Amino acid sequence: MTRILHLVDDTNPGGVTRYLDFLRRDPGMAALASHEVRAVPRNRPCVAGIEADVIVSHLAVTWRGLPGLMALRARHAGTPLIHVEHSYSEGFAAHNVRARRRFRTLLRTAYALFDRIVAVSHPQGDWLLGRGLVPAAQLSVIPPCVDLSAFAALPAPQGPVRVIGALGRFDRQKGFDLLIRAFRALPQADLRLEMIGDGPERAALEALAQGDPRIRFAGFADSPAQAMAACDALAMPSRWEPYGLVGAEARAAGRPVLVSGVDGLRDQVEDGAIAVRESTVDAWQEALATLTGPSLPPAARRAEEPATLTRLGWAALLDGFDGLTDDAGSVTTEVSAVAA
Amino acid sequence: MPQASIVVPAFNAADTLGETLRSLLAQTHPDFEIVVVDDGSTDRTVAVARGFGDARIRVVQQPNRGLAGARNSGIAAARGAFIGFCDADDLWRPTKLAAHVAHLEANPEIGLSYSGSELIDAEGRPTGLAQRPRLQGVTPAHVFRRNPVGNGSAPVFRRAALDAIAFRPEGETRRDWWFDERFRQSEDVECWLRLALTTDWDIAGIPGLLTRYRIVPGGLSAGTARQEASWEAMVTKLTPLAPAFFARHARAARAFQQRYLARRAVSSGNASEARSRMRAALATAPLALAAEPAKTLTTLTATALLSLAGPATIDALRGLARRRAA
Repeated sequence: MTRILHLVDDTNPGGVTRYLDFLRRDPGMAALASHEVRAVPRNRPCVAGIEADVIVSHLAVTWRGLPGLMALRARHAGTPLIHVEHSYSEGFAAHNVRARRRFRTLLRTAYALFDRIVAVSHPQGDWLLGRGLVPAAQLSVIPPCVDLSAFAALPAPQGPVRVIGALGRFDRQKGFDLLIRAFRALPQADLRLEMIGDGPERAALEALAQGDPRIRFAGFADSPAQAMAACDALAMPSRWEPYGLVGAEARAAGRPVLVSGVDGLRDQVEDGAIAVRESTVDAWQEALATLTGPSLPPAARRAEEPATLTRLGWAALLDGFDGLTDDAGSVTTEVSAVAA
Repeated sequence: MPQASIVVPAFNAADTLGETLRSLLAQTHPDFEIVVVDDGSTDRTVAVARGFGDARIRVVQQPNRGLAGARNSGIAAARGAFIGFCDADDLWRPTKLAAHVAHLEANPEIGLSYSGSELIDAEGRPTGLAQRPRLQGVTPAHVFRRNPVGNGSAPVFRRAALDAIAFRPEGETRRDWWFDERFRQSEDVECWLRLALTTDWDIAGIPGLLTRYRIVPGGLSAGTARQEASWEAMVTKLTPLAPAFFARHARAARAFQQRYLARRAVSSGNASEARSRMRAALATAPLALAAEPAKTLTTLTATALLSLAGPATIDALRGLARRRAA
């Protein structure tokens, strides 16, 4: 059995942690390999006692972390080393990076230490290729997945959309400030905006919402599925979003979801999310007005077993390394059987 | 399929279009098309374009949609991997396209390549003035404060970079928008700034005054108030996109905008407007203006001269500058 060790530096409850829970517990992933998850310091990931056939980094790439990655590569020269890029995307770079050349140098240098780089969405993969950060032969695109059963079990919302949910960390990344401005311009008194989460922007968002009793701050939700049960639709006006897990959860729950057209959210539009035309207050107001208007939104089709894509992606990736499986292709077959 | 496309928006431009197209047909770059977008002209604009009988010129016609709408139709029709723009009264130096294509091919991370411009008058003579912008290390803040791209006949885009900012507003069924057609002015800087703020395509310039940009006295200056209003509308539109960025840079950018409008007022001989705009600029962000002392001082001096001695003095000085340049 192939042993895969997943290294992670962020153990906060969030998308990455839940993705790793999925990798560890999903029977299809277990058919591929055994998965161990280990939390390591970002700058010193090369901890003692690593025994694995494949090492997968879910670490955030930084200049400070670069020596640690080099040590990891040096210590495990013969072991396939994979990096999953959870953090960076075109929108991230546009909104956060001032020294772009330096940033690209960092990514090229770090990625060159790995055998494969895994993008979490096609737009992110296109960006990595287009900027020459990863050669095509080294790139795989594997959308992440989490256990969606709790979302899939939610009854579909009935009637017109009245409660819009914004679920996620209150960070400027999520663009919830834009959402509140747009929502406030809607006239209907019976609408509600549920702000579910917490984070550094909380006070600023509360100030923006002040005086509009339709906007509620529910705080951090231990169970995102339960929080989503109270919403008829979701809104993701993110400024950057390498993947955008909430969108996949909303679709699993049969909730329509409005998204900005950035990064990984473009993939979700192909899967049924509703793209807002522009990242402006006016365009979001218009989209919210349509969503909450008299005509019901198109029945959100529930995502069909999105885990299959994740399993097949990893299977194909592992097939690419010699000596991990008895005969090439067997892993894919096995996973397909589980998925079916 | 041509490697590059040059989009020429033209509205009642029969008088100047011929010279513009001659300058474009004279490009040294071997592989390009020219897309003339007739924006509902009522003069001989189309006849002038067709009169060349050159297979490289394609004419697209539409009911009037304004400059941004004409550029957008040009982009929609363009087939090149690189797309440049030249308004129907401006001129390109013969090596301009070749230089930008080489720049973009050598630097895959650059999405918008531009150059400086020589300012010419109605007769096509050098005015002695030029736009010599910063060429390297251009950040969104530079684009917002100083608009190094300069004018709508300066940039050559990579098609992929334009497509990264395409959108389709409510009610538009025919094609995407790249420039925002709701703007009748400031539509160019709105486009460059949106590219800088929402994508990680680099914006960079190459040396040389490769565009010859026509300044017609009284043309734009008549509308400085409208120009200010559309610039503010741009700030209002884009602020929710990056609130922290605008909180940080809007004051300085506004001061530079006022100084620019003051220079326009000087050009059109309006002393009282020039004075009030320079006062506004200095009240808004004196430190930002002090960072460019030469330009700020010449604007102040010109404003003072205009107030004390009248427009003849400015004309005389400009005449001197022209002789020096010639």
